[in-house]
Amino acid sequence: MNVVELKNLRKSFALKRGGLFNRTTTEVTAVAGIDLIVQPGESVAFIGPNGAGKSTTIKILTGIMRPTSGSAQVLGLVPWRDRTKLATRIGAVFGQRSQLWYHLPALDSFELLSRIYNLDKNKYKARRDMLIERFALQPFLNTPVRKLSLGQRMRAEIASSLLHSPEVLFLDEPTIGLDVVARQELRDLMREWNRDEGLTVFLTSHDAGDIEHVARRVVVINNGQVMLDDTVSTVKRRYLGQKIIGARFHEQPGTFDMEGVTELKRSEYAVKLIVDTEKTDIDRVAAAILHAGSVADITIEDPPLEDVIARMYGDQRNGDQRNGTEKASQTGADAK
Amino acid sequence: MNELRKYTWIAWTSARSSWAYFGDAIGRVIFFSIILYIFLRLWTTTFTQTGATHLGGLSITQMLWYLTITEAIMLSGPKVSTLIDEDVRTGTIAVQLLRPMSYAYYRLAMTLGERTIRFLVNLVTGCAIAFLLVGQLPMVGFGMLTLCATLPLAFILDFLGLFLVGLSAFWLEDTSGLLLLYSRGVLIAGGTLIPLDLYPSAVRPILSWLPFANITAGPAHVFVSPLPQDLAMILCRQITGTLVLGAIAFVIYKQALRRVFVNGG
Repeated sequence: MNVVELKNLRKSFALKRGGLFNRTTTEVTAVAGIDLIVQPGESVAFIGPNGAGKSTTIKILTGIMRPTSGSAQVLGLVPWRDRTKLATRIGAVFGQRSQLWYHLPALDSFELLSRIYNLDKNKYKARRDMLIERFALQPFLNTPVRKLSLGQRMRAEIASSLLHSPEVLFLDEPTIGLDVVARQELRDLMREWNRDEGLTVFLTSHDAGDIEHVARRVVVINNGQVMLDDTVSTVKRRYLGQKIIGARFHEQPGTFDMEGVTELKRSEYAVKLIVDTEKTDIDRVAAAILHAGSVADITIEDPPLEDVIARMYGDQRNGDQRNGTEKASQTGADAK
Repeated sequence: MNELRKYTWIAWTSARSSWAYFGDAIGRVIFFSIILYIFLRLWTTTFTQTGATHLGGLSITQMLWYLTITEAIMLSGPKVSTLIDEDVRTGTIAVQLLRPMSYAYYRLAMTLGERTIRFLVNLVTGCAIAFLLVGQLPMVGFGMLTLCATLPLAFILDFLGLFLVGLSAFWLEDTSGLLLLYSRGVLIAGGTLIPLDLYPSAVRPILSWLPFANITAGPAHVFVSPLPQDLAMILCRQITGTLVLGAIAFVIYKQALRRVFVNGG
């Protein structure tokens, strides 16, 4: 049985504008015919620019929203019709919204969730203890959530969403606002859980690193439609094979004449490079930077997801145009 | 049974959470004491100036205990509508809807848990102040029983009113106007400050059947004057009010759920 099955899913909203006497209604299409199948145990990154329709699709998948037309099934259930039944089989983490009680320790929230999900007491205790160990929650288990760092809170959030042993986990921007270390820890945990427990992960993020480290399949949507559906390794090779390195120096740095390295920006004491990791290794570039002068600071970043998507979109459009031209010339040939 | 245990635990967690900030609780007790003292002095002056032994059928002792109960109920209410308003505007309602429970019952359980603790604190404080100023009320034990019988539905009625105000966030930009109207309704039309028996006889029957009067005035009335027929009447009005407001809340809630758009993540 497929975990997620979407057929020609559409959702549009009526957007009302103006005052009492000059009110106009415009129909806005958030999801414009999405077809998607997710198999058990897959980890899928569902990405796209702001307003692409990601959140709307997730809200439909979790049963919060009804589509305008088309069909959707999650674990064999129609989400908006069987929302409560589905809720016991899925988990969800929203990076900017907490399901833990702010004034109480995470342990109290776990206890409450065990009642909400009607978990068997012994099974709950075993599961809770296992999650505490795997997510390293013990040191701050009895600290009120309001006193936790964002990284600790997110670990507790994800652990709490796994308490009832969901079959699929929806993660909406789970690493937003986290520092580099906390972000990596969380990515490792999500990947581990997907690999070891066979949990299906459905992730949305604006962070290319999340996609690269957690998912094995990428679905890019734009204007409510699937633009690309491929493996992460393919996408990585084609679109994520670049890193941006920024370096600040105590003195004027020398030039960087290396294959696969392009200078994006240069000021008197700083330089920003874009590195094609297919052509040259990051550590070689880092060594060259250290060689170029006395370094004050160095950062290595992924290119912004928006840029990656813009490139994908550009490729897609070129492909469509090529196909269009081929079709047109074929039609022309047929007419002759 | 499982469902009942689930919501009872939510109420219990909410009660514990309300005591997380001890300073806030102390602040609420001080505020309640000051407000109560001011109203008690006002009514003492009114009785002295008019020379009346009874006003609205209540002696000065009964009047001051009446005010103690109405204020204890009124000031024990959590900010339900504000919380729902926030849930709607920030999209947090989406997180709650992803759990195998009803958002409406979840908020009700939270409110009852927190309110019970707050009311008990107000009651103890209020009783101490009233006892110091006017002494003990006759039949206080029986009054306490009748009060306890009317409190659950009083809290549920108030919750339903505030739940509807909070849900209006699905349609309105700002719900504070409605909240102001509602709270003034409980304060004035509900007989919190002035017993309903002091209102003109033409409006009294209308006011007494409105939900407002059965939140504070009804329980306070059966506390100071614990007559079985009054208790039956208050309970009857409370049940009617709960059924009517409950039905309205059910319809509005169903409509509201269709409007969950949750923009921006």
